[in-house]
Amino acid sequence: MRPLALTRIMLAATALLSLSAHAQDSLPIGLIQPLTGSVAYNGTAAAHGAELAVKQRNANGGVLGKPVEMITEDGQCSPADSVNAAEKLIQRDEVVALVGAFCSSATSAVMPVAQKYKIPFLTGVSSEASLTEAGNPYFFRSAETDALLGSAFSKLIVDNLGLEKVAYIGVNDDWGRGSVKAFEQELSGHGVETVMTEYFNHGSSDFYTLLTKLRNSGADGVFVAAETQDGSTLVKQLKQFGIDMDVFGVGSWATSDFIDLTGDAAEGIYAAVPYVSNLPGERNERFVKDYTEAYGQAPGKYGAAGYNALNIMMAAIERAGSSDAEAIVDGLKQTDYEAPNGRYRFTAKGQGYGFQAALVQIQNGKTDVVATTAIAAPDAGN
Amino acid sequence: MDMLLQFVANGLVSGSFYALSALGLTLIFGLMRVVNFAHGEFYMLGGVLGWFVTTYLGLNFFVGLVVVVVAMAAFGWLVDRFLIERVRDQGEEPSILLTIGLSIFLTNSALLVVGTAPLNIAGAVPNAPVFLGPVVLTQMRLFAVAACAVLILAAYLLIRHTRLGRAMRATFQDPMAARLAGIKTAYVYASTFALGTVLAASSGMLLGSIYSVQVSGGGLISLKAFVVVILGGMGSFAGAIVGGLILGLAEALWGGYVSSGTVDVIGFLIVILTLIFKPYGLFSTQVERA
Repeated sequence: MRPLALTRIMLAATALLSLSAHAQDSLPIGLIQPLTGSVAYNGTAAAHGAELAVKQRNANGGVLGKPVEMITEDGQCSPADSVNAAEKLIQRDEVVALVGAFCSSATSAVMPVAQKYKIPFLTGVSSEASLTEAGNPYFFRSAETDALLGSAFSKLIVDNLGLEKVAYIGVNDDWGRGSVKAFEQELSGHGVETVMTEYFNHGSSDFYTLLTKLRNSGADGVFVAAETQDGSTLVKQLKQFGIDMDVFGVGSWATSDFIDLTGDAAEGIYAAVPYVSNLPGERNERFVKDYTEAYGQAPGKYGAAGYNALNIMMAAIERAGSSDAEAIVDGLKQTDYEAPNGRYRFTAKGQGYGFQAALVQIQNGKTDVVATTAIAAPDAGN
Repeated sequence: MDMLLQFVANGLVSGSFYALSALGLTLIFGLMRVVNFAHGEFYMLGGVLGWFVTTYLGLNFFVGLVVVVVAMAAFGWLVDRFLIERVRDQGEEPSILLTIGLSIFLTNSALLVVGTAPLNIAGAVPNAPVFLGPVVLTQMRLFAVAACAVLILAAYLLIRHTRLGRAMRATFQDPMAARLAGIKTAYVYASTFALGTVLAASSGMLLGSIYSVQVSGGGLISLKAFVVVILGGMGSFAGAIVGGLILGLAEALWGGYVSSGTVDVIGFLIVILTLIFKPYGLFSTQVERA
């Protein structure tokens, strides 16, 4: 008799607690990031940034007078798991908005779910260009696309590095292939010859075969699209292999972790990044200080992306004045957000623009900003 | 020509790494008939422990390796005594489910403890390039290949020339007869499992010092080890070595002359071809076991 009664009381209490938590006291926002799997490291950074944004906002009174409750789910960068996470967040946690899902393939799988339940959905990371072309009115992107990054940087790279023959190496997924294609197109437009295009799989550890081909390709520069783990292994082996050419790339390259992992081999390489922790500006200094205090290391590209995405979403909900989806979408459209890395606005299709991106070079274990450029709005159709 | 030599050198190096990690699996999967999907996680644990003892305890590489070997032998022994023991002789499915569960548990526990960042192990020798004619290798790679050879030889001698080795061979030929002859088969199983775990873990630590240790990277390691074991023949020592080298070479040549984005296809192509044309593998021990 007794255990049963106890169970009932506990059940009732739990029900009450969860009811009150959602109905009155807080504003739930769902976050989907890969917390396990091959990009777990970067997904965790994005989740950290998001957490920091929420903590700061709540310390200043929250949104619409309520504290924001961020509920994080692991999407593992996989479409299936991310959709499950979205369903759970929408149905069980009754979130008013979604942020995520890191990998473009995962994000594109979550988009129809968000549309079905009419939940505003913002990604701060996924860069596959077609996402914002899908005509999903609930979807926004506060990140650069591969093409936007390519066009912003190709001139800088040609001017600063003076390259004539370039080899391209990318991780074998939609992002890696998209980046290689975008940069190849843009650089060819500036008269740079393509001498090699190769891809490798996530989690590869031995790049000697690829590097053998690179050494024999006659390139004077190599473009690499890779994330921290693969990128550091590749660059280390490139230096071991005695290849001496300009290395420049996209991905989370200019982070303290990348430099720690890669060691001396990181010296001199260039990275085209939408964010680096030593961008000039007082706003960025404050962000870097807060982030470093909270997580013991300076923020990288993904930490900033998570931070910006949550701030944009929370500001949109505040502007909307309610948790109504249509009002939040309108709020998102009016975004004019002063980020640590410039001003974010959205095009009619939900593509973010106006923020800064930087070409950095790693020197003496630090990132030197060589040049910055603003990501312009895409011309087509806007 | 220079390119071909370099590809062959690359293939032989990665092939010898495959061989060492597959050797552990050929004992556990080939002889004990435990379809061990946690093999890649044992490899990963070896790397993580190796990183811990060299970075935090400040041990040098060799002392660290000994510590890892002892710790992982104990771990393998306990896994066998407390987990595998319960599903022994119940067919393959329970052990598949058990080891899949174990692999998920180990990966996520490691993620919880050391986090998602890749870990670097300080190597035993500097990672400086070595030029052999047109071929580039590094000292660390040559060292790792030598270490693989030593470990493989040690395992071979252990199985061929010690009492424990004889007991192992007897047990896997006929457990009933082995028990009647007074062999404590429970200990033999546990020792074999421990040996397999140690081989996986030491290759994890060796390779961790060349590449880096990735906590979530166990799955691919398991798959490649299965490829080598199936190609070489279940439970065969020579099979694991030759199979590993063939896989390494095939991947290097495919990556070099076709495309490096599709190299992981090669392993599975090899498995399909093996199963069609030589279903017991190149060096089958089928007859011995029958």
